Amino acid sequence: MIYLLPHTITQSARRFPDREAFRSGKASLTYREMELRMNQLASVLHTLNIKKGDRVGIYLNRSIETAIAIFGIMQAGGVYVPIDPKAPVARSQFLIEDCDVQILITQPTQRRNVKKILADKKNIHTVVGLPEMEEINTISWASVFLASPIFSLPFRILEKDLAYIIYTSGSTGQPKGIMHSHYSGLSFARLTADLYGMTEKDRVGNHAPIHFDISTLGYFASPLVGACTVIASDAQTIFPASLGQLIEQEALTIWYSVPLALTQILQNGVLADKELPDLRWVLYAGEPFPPKYLRRLMQQWSGARFSNLYGPTETNVCTYYHLPAIPVTDDPIPIGAVWGNTDYLILNEEDKEVETGTAGELLIYSATQMMGYWRNPALTEKSHYKVKTASRQEAAFYRTGDLVREVDGVIHFLGRKDFQVKIRGHRVELGAIEACLVTHPAVREAVVFPVKEADENLSIAAGVILISASTASVNILLQYLKEKLPLYAVPEEIKIVTDFPRTSSGKIKRGVLATTL
Amino acid sequence: MIEQKIIKYILEELHGGQSDLEILPEDDLLGSGLVESMGMMRLIQFVEDENEIKVSPQDMTIENFMTVQAIVDYVERSKNNG
Repeated sequence: MIYLLPHTITQSARRFPDREAFRSGKASLTYREMELRMNQLASVLHTLNIKKGDRVGIYLNRSIETAIAIFGIMQAGGVYVPIDPKAPVARSQFLIEDCDVQILITQPTQRRNVKKILADKKNIHTVVGLPEMEEINTISWASVFLASPIFSLPFRILEKDLAYIIYTSGSTGQPKGIMHSHYSGLSFARLTADLYGMTEKDRVGNHAPIHFDISTLGYFASPLVGACTVIASDAQTIFPASLGQLIEQEALTIWYSVPLALTQILQNGVLADKELPDLRWVLYAGEPFPPKYLRRLMQQWSGARFSNLYGPTETNVCTYYHLPAIPVTDDPIPIGAVWGNTDYLILNEEDKEVETGTAGELLIYSATQMMGYWRNPALTEKSHYKVKTASRQEAAFYRTGDLVREVDGVIHFLGRKDFQVKIRGHRVELGAIEACLVTHPAVREAVVFPVKEADENLSIAAGVILISASTASVNILLQYLKEKLPLYAVPEEIKIVTDFPRTSSGKIKRGVLATTL
Repeated sequence: MIEQKIIKYILEELHGGQSDLEILPEDDLLGSGLVESMGMMRLIQFVEDENEIKVSPQDMTIENFMTVQAIVDYVERSKNNG
């Protein structure tokens, strides 16, 4: 029976030993090879005396080694912690310290960064993936691949045990570690495999780096059904034309990424000459997809179906919406309905259930829910709402902090709860202003953010990226907004910029907009 | 020399003149993390301005921008064709 994430590899190695499991660039592993590599790394970690639940850092660019690291760590009873090599060294050091990473898995191209990290992080005793380094124990990938794949763990791992920790930037202050179990990861794999009819014939495009949970489709759901995951290299993700090429040449059947990546492929991916007869499903999550781009992409990729997935990292995914047709209006796309093994509540500010059709905060109780925040019981407590179930057990619903409205069984996302500001007494939804700006034909992307004035009052400002050929002015945009929004919701200032500050996964860093734009 | 100008740009503009860095024409700029996505867009802009060429979306590929050498080759091809 499959009850741990690495079991998916073992099972697929038995059912489809010679099918491709993972591919990245020219590197490729069949399920048989993947099982061997996973066990070799697990056995190396075992000789390093890894104990149940020990956190192991993965400091890798998107590559085939990423897959080996994820499964090798879990197979050894450890917990994988993705550390973004593009993040500032101080952030990596914070993560390593916060969850006491003692073993780091990396690759030779990261040598320079690893050296900086180690300069004052003495809790790391071994670095796997570098041939040699002064003053620290290292084990090269070459020697991992010579290790015996046979080992025996002195402890038992159960489905509710911790499997991975993903750190997200807290809206204030330090990053927080979101803990997920094997059960959560497998539930996600089973639910997506079912929802999108995945089989061993699928080829899944993996665009997201592993510190972003969008990556779990390729890493968890594919092995469950014996499908192949094609990991886009970091270089490919930089060039939309190369991504377009990847989808075509690898005959991908399922694609899952943030809308931004898809918008870039649409605009610069040179799609006109590409036939993509194999592409069945295009999934997106992370941010709303501006309908004007989604519409064009759906026209371009008319053979594929499109699905909007929604869920904070704390729940991985919890709702889905299959687009029934190409959207004709610029109204935001709904987030749909909760998926399997998931319950939900929509509550008002007094924690009372709202009437259908009224806006409220979405709360989720599901199989893919996190175990809690790493070493932060206070925050875990604060983020949950406890309900007594019929069996007198307690169900802790996760507070998403997102405002939604349910109409005819379809949930609509309205914006972040903390994304609502009061301007001169009026409640203003910043997301609604962004959505309005993006409907202007000259606007590629927009952000709207509150600015604290000298007198402590709030005003609204906007940042706008124009489409490349456009010469639209700030005044034209302001005039456009004035025609569509109440005056108090029109930004005091609009700045035209070439890009916004972003995280490595492409999400806009909202916390720093007021100071950087 | 286009080659030296590009290397100088990466070192001084994208890395703020860090002294311990060395870039060879055949170094993988992207795989090694020497240039990130935003940096690559700036580098392409620099190459366009410096050589008075326009890089089309079709040409913005790994093959043309993976190494300094590849960029130099691309620029020379573009100039000859233009």
